[in-house]
Amino acid sequence: MPKHLLGLLLVLPALAVILLLFVVPLATSLVGAFKVEDRFGFGNFAKSFELYTSDIVFTVVIVSLSTAIIGILSVAIGGYLVLGENPRAVAILRWLYRWPLFIPFIVVGQILRTFLAKNGLMNNVLIEVGLITPLQAVSFLDWRGIVIAFVWKQTPFVALLVSGAMASVDRSTIEAARNLGASRLRILVEIIVPQVATTLMVGLVLSFVTMMSVLSVPLMINAQSPTMITADIAFRINAYGDYGVANALGLISLVASACVGWFYLRQTLRERS
Amino acid sequence: MKKLLQASLALSLSAVPASAAELTLITAGDQNMVDYVNEYLAPLFEEQNPGNTVRAVGTGPGDAGSQKILERFEAQKQADAKVWDTDVAVVHEKFVGPMVEAGYLDNYRDRIATGGLVTRSNADMALGANVKGYVMPMFNSQTALAYNPALLPNPPKSYAELAEWAKANPKQFGYNGIKGGASGVSFVMGWIYAFGDGDADKLMNGPFEETEATKWDSAFDSLADFTTHATLTPGNAGTLDLLSRGEIAVGPVWVDMFYSWQANGQLPPEFKLVLPAPGMPGQPMHYVIPANAPNKDLAEKFVELATSAKVQAEGIVKRFNWYPGIDAKHVQAELDEATWNKLFIDVTPDDLATKGKPFPIAPYNKAILEAYERHVTN
Repeated sequence: MPKHLLGLLLVLPALAVILLLFVVPLATSLVGAFKVEDRFGFGNFAKSFELYTSDIVFTVVIVSLSTAIIGILSVAIGGYLVLGENPRAVAILRWLYRWPLFIPFIVVGQILRTFLAKNGLMNNVLIEVGLITPLQAVSFLDWRGIVIAFVWKQTPFVALLVSGAMASVDRSTIEAARNLGASRLRILVEIIVPQVATTLMVGLVLSFVTMMSVLSVPLMINAQSPTMITADIAFRINAYGDYGVANALGLISLVASACVGWFYLRQTLRERS
Repeated sequence: MKKLLQASLALSLSAVPASAAELTLITAGDQNMVDYVNEYLAPLFEEQNPGNTVRAVGTGPGDAGSQKILERFEAQKQADAKVWDTDVAVVHEKFVGPMVEAGYLDNYRDRIATGGLVTRSNADMALGANVKGYVMPMFNSQTALAYNPALLPNPPKSYAELAEWAKANPKQFGYNGIKGGASGVSFVMGWIYAFGDGDADKLMNGPFEETEATKWDSAFDSLADFTTHATLTPGNAGTLDLLSRGEIAVGPVWVDMFYSWQANGQLPPEFKLVLPAPGMPGQPMHYVIPANAPNKDLAEKFVELATSAKVQAEGIVKRFNWYPGIDAKHVQAELDEATWNKLFIDVTPDDLATKGKPFPIAPYNKAILEAYERHVTN
């Protein structure tokens, strides 16, 4: 058998799986988004924007904000792991920061729902310690809760990638900067981060896309208005059996994710050329 | 391994017929529905019909669960399967109409002995669709306002009083909007019954006219304003949760959930219910038998047992605090007075008769939900 045929045969199962389980459903959903009662048109999109514009904006803003905070925190964690001078603190941080990686989103939602409620654990502790009075206690179960959940869950993932990349940065550049008297913050920002920028970007793009698709957190923490697109998609299907608008909303969130992916691709292509 | 196999079998959507001795029941609703069958009904049925077993599968809470069952029937119908994979299904009221119209269900009520015990009109008409004969109500459920007497000694008796009170006491009223469970949906429907400029009876009984939707504008404007003074909770349980923590003073809940939480100690015993005028909706859940059920005789026997006066008294009223599906007078005879009265302390049978409403018929239901999204959440 010729070699290239054998190769084709070997990838065929994987190709079939991708085709059947991913490409076909995606195509059906894309077509479904434009289908309005057996005809094609933009009715579903008109309805999506009429009813859910604020939710779409809310989703993009919340996820972007979370991504930015995740970026800052993961650089801080990675930076301390590389530059930290107290070996014990570094060891503890290295051991601690990965924990949320192993906790599913739904559990994060559940934990934070009891933690952030008006009379939840956090406010009760603050009241006990005397930092706030019971009247000042406010519930964080709104957009802030979602951001906290996302940051808590996704920071370890990005930090894991970033700290790995930082560890493989050539130490001599760091030592040289240190010899010339640069502070640790300056070394981090001017020497290390530019060298791991691609890895950081990959981590943030993956986080962005993951967060766009989370349903459990908005459902558990903030089902009020505005909410995230995923909650609206679930509601369209469950309350109305309306797959058209759900598909349209899905396509809109796909476009938002694709924008980020495109931005990232352009960046890497420019770096390579 | 055996467990794994059973689980994958239960999860699979394939149309594999169950063996003759195994009755497959799928149910929408919370886990308590599955528990009710597994822990109470199934052992009873297996005892009376030796050799047969019952397998219960839950499809998830709320409309989503019933939607899954509807789609499962649809798939098997389209595949032209001669024998389907389900003997008995338990679905929400909203879904039986479409199921009957699509020809998925068997007309069995007259064939079973308990068929004659059903008297409520919602067993014949389900949100405007004629389902007479195709369904047996498992139970009737009702929404009402739950309140904390320590924060609210004199609860509002009507929607109008509530609206006024909520304005004076911002954030003390809590409800879950329309995306977090049906108690919030029910509250919104009640609001339109109370303040809509159209005829509420028309919403409940039809016929559907699109122009009716224009009569809700002022009601939704006031609801949008009302909602800014309200606390939005994350779900049916979320409302009860906030009540128990003292974060809100009053909110719409399902009566059965309220009593169950109280029985478990999750809600203080002094909390009370009030059904505001002009009324709030409730709904039954129905037993249905698919047209191509593999074990029809057994399925009919099962529903007959489940809707017998004894099971309705012991299981539905006593254990789960639901209102019975069959005529209450047959059930009352099977229960001691204390149990019976417990169900009717706050919401009297009289209240139920005058202020227990059905949900609007399906097209109005959709139109109101969408109007809510347009006016209140956007």
